[in-house]
Amino acid sequence: MKEYVDIINILLPVFYFITFGVYAYDFMTEKSKLSDVKRLFLFLNLLMHAGYLVLRSLYLGHFPITNVFEIFTVLAFSTAFSYFVLELLTDVRGTGPFIIIISLFFQIISTLYIKDNPEVKEVLRNNLLGTHVFTALLGYSGITISAIYGCLYLMLYKEIKQNTFGLIFNRLPNLEILEQLSFYSAVIGFVLLSFAIAIGIIWLPKAFPSFSYGDPKLIGTSIVWLLYGIGITSKILGKWRGKKIITLSIVGFLVAIFSTMVSNFLAKSFHSFY
Amino acid sequence: MNLVAIAINHHTAPINLREALHLSSDEISKYIGKVKDSLFSEGLVVSTCNRTEIYGIPAKKDITFKDIQDSLIEFKAGFGIQPEHFENLQAAEAVRHLFSVICGIDSLIIGDNQIYSQVKDSFILADNNHFTGTIMKRVYDLALKTGKRAISETAINEGAVTISFAAVQLIEKIFSSLNKKSALVIGTGETGEIAAKHLSERGIGKLTLTNRTFEKAELLADKLNAVAIPFPEFKNELHKFDIVLSATSAPEIILTKDELAAAMKKRNYASMVVMDIAIPRDIDAGSREIDYVFYHDIDNLNVIVDQNLKKRKDEISKVQAIIEEELKSLLDWYNSLEAGPTIKILRDLFESVRAEEVKSNINRFSDSDREKLDIVTKKIINKLLHHPTVELKKILLENDRDETVQKISLIRDLFGLNDSHKKE
Repeated sequence: MKEYVDIINILLPVFYFITFGVYAYDFMTEKSKLSDVKRLFLFLNLLMHAGYLVLRSLYLGHFPITNVFEIFTVLAFSTAFSYFVLELLTDVRGTGPFIIIISLFFQIISTLYIKDNPEVKEVLRNNLLGTHVFTALLGYSGITISAIYGCLYLMLYKEIKQNTFGLIFNRLPNLEILEQLSFYSAVIGFVLLSFAIAIGIIWLPKAFPSFSYGDPKLIGTSIVWLLYGIGITSKILGKWRGKKIITLSIVGFLVAIFSTMVSNFLAKSFHSFY
Repeated sequence: MNLVAIAINHHTAPINLREALHLSSDEISKYIGKVKDSLFSEGLVVSTCNRTEIYGIPAKKDITFKDIQDSLIEFKAGFGIQPEHFENLQAAEAVRHLFSVICGIDSLIIGDNQIYSQVKDSFILADNNHFTGTIMKRVYDLALKTGKRAISETAINEGAVTISFAAVQLIEKIFSSLNKKSALVIGTGETGEIAAKHLSERGIGKLTLTNRTFEKAELLADKLNAVAIPFPEFKNELHKFDIVLSATSAPEIILTKDELAAAMKKRNYASMVVMDIAIPRDIDAGSREIDYVFYHDIDNLNVIVDQNLKKRKDEISKVQAIIEEELKSLLDWYNSLEAGPTIKILRDLFESVRAEEVKSNINRFSDSDREKLDIVTKKIINKLLHHPTVELKKILLENDRDETVQKISLIRDLFGLNDSHKKE
């Protein structure tokens, strides 16, 4: 089984690159012949990635969440999967390359540095931890996609305001759609993060004697959660819209990245397993 | 192929001459009645605001391009029209031209959206007047196929190429559905009216019109199922509109940046598209600096139009490749309508049916009878085919190519020879 896991691990970035290429070509070319088949590429890519995650879990006997580079491959999968679902639900197809490139990035790093780690701490084999981590990762995928749509919104907003009608103007969906996609992704991300935080708060103090509410990752995630909570509430109440809400989404994403980096690589806390 | 065509269009003649020869549907029917059998055995007349073109199979050998031109000039009493105002085409060139016309690459605005249906309607009109025969029907099928392929396989008719459509394209890059939006059109002159009609056709949720002469606004509002408001009141109502389109002939600014900023504040900075398509401009250009105001004037819209026109021009070579493919298919079909190959295919078809039937029933006969069965059935086939073969050979000796084509085409259709030939 190890051979299969290793082979797919090498193939995955290649497949993400091909899928990204197909989506990028379709974005750049009007009436491209790949318009209808690109979704099939992404589907097959996801199928292979799902197979890889299952095989890896079976081979090592634990979910692939025991080190940062395993987390990266899950993040690559969940981002591409979330986009795939969004594309199916909305039929908005012009934004794929901007999101698949994120998956490609995470997968390349994962493939290069991932290590098989059969001996893992007992706590990392816990199913509740698995649920906590998976919901958190899906939540982060949601806010990543929200931030990307936010950036695309700002780019298109600028093009229209400045009367520069280039590729972005011609190929992206309209501003209202981009705003909606960014908002819906943020809502999904927020709900999943809420779930992950709830599990964490109930279960983590029991599982870790060194649990602390001052943990950087906990504080960072809470700030992100709060920012998105404020943004979503303001939008629902009709107080904020457009650039303001988009900027908040991008700031939330940057805070999430920053807090993850600080808690994983700089600070020492019970929340750093790797 | 004995197809000929004369064309007067924007390449060959100025607008006054084109107008002089324009034919309405009724006139086309009358003209067909006049030239059918005397000039053409079958044909097609296309007449739009930019072209009048006549295609057909000459009824006699000595008919010249001048005869066809004279028939049209005489019918329309078109004075001042000279032979050099016509383009004369024949055989493959005539078909190529028709295919170019239906694909929109010969239009004044490349990729014109209307020409496809105009040519289609012309074919229907010709058919209703019993002016279509074997060749023109085939040309019709392939012309439609070529036009459809050009639309679906290339971007020849994509993107807005007029100012008012560019305005709509821009609006659709900001709002997802116009049916939930409200629009105000200021000025109901010619430009304002066109813009209001476009918005109405695109299904705008609520359309409001205003004009210095209120009656004019009311009149157009009645036509478009819109609402008219008095001109002095529109500034108080401004915050209610998602789209404001101004096209007045006022010599000065009618809406300042401050007035627009106040309206935006009132609507809590919900996006507003402001299109100033008046010359001189109606709205303070500084309005573009206000957040969520998407201000565009005629120069900005021209940028979109020019870009789209360039894109369409870049697609012409792809369309021409499609035209050549379909033209080849038409010529292949035409060349297959020869008597010699038709006799062979017909005999092969009968022989294959005979052989198949003999094979499936052979067990019902004794060994001694089987040879006789083969001989008898072959004799039957030969007798059945004797007369058609003689008649087909007679056609071969005749010199009237178009009559030959019609007869052979009929035989091929009756016996399904085109299909059986393809199977081989």
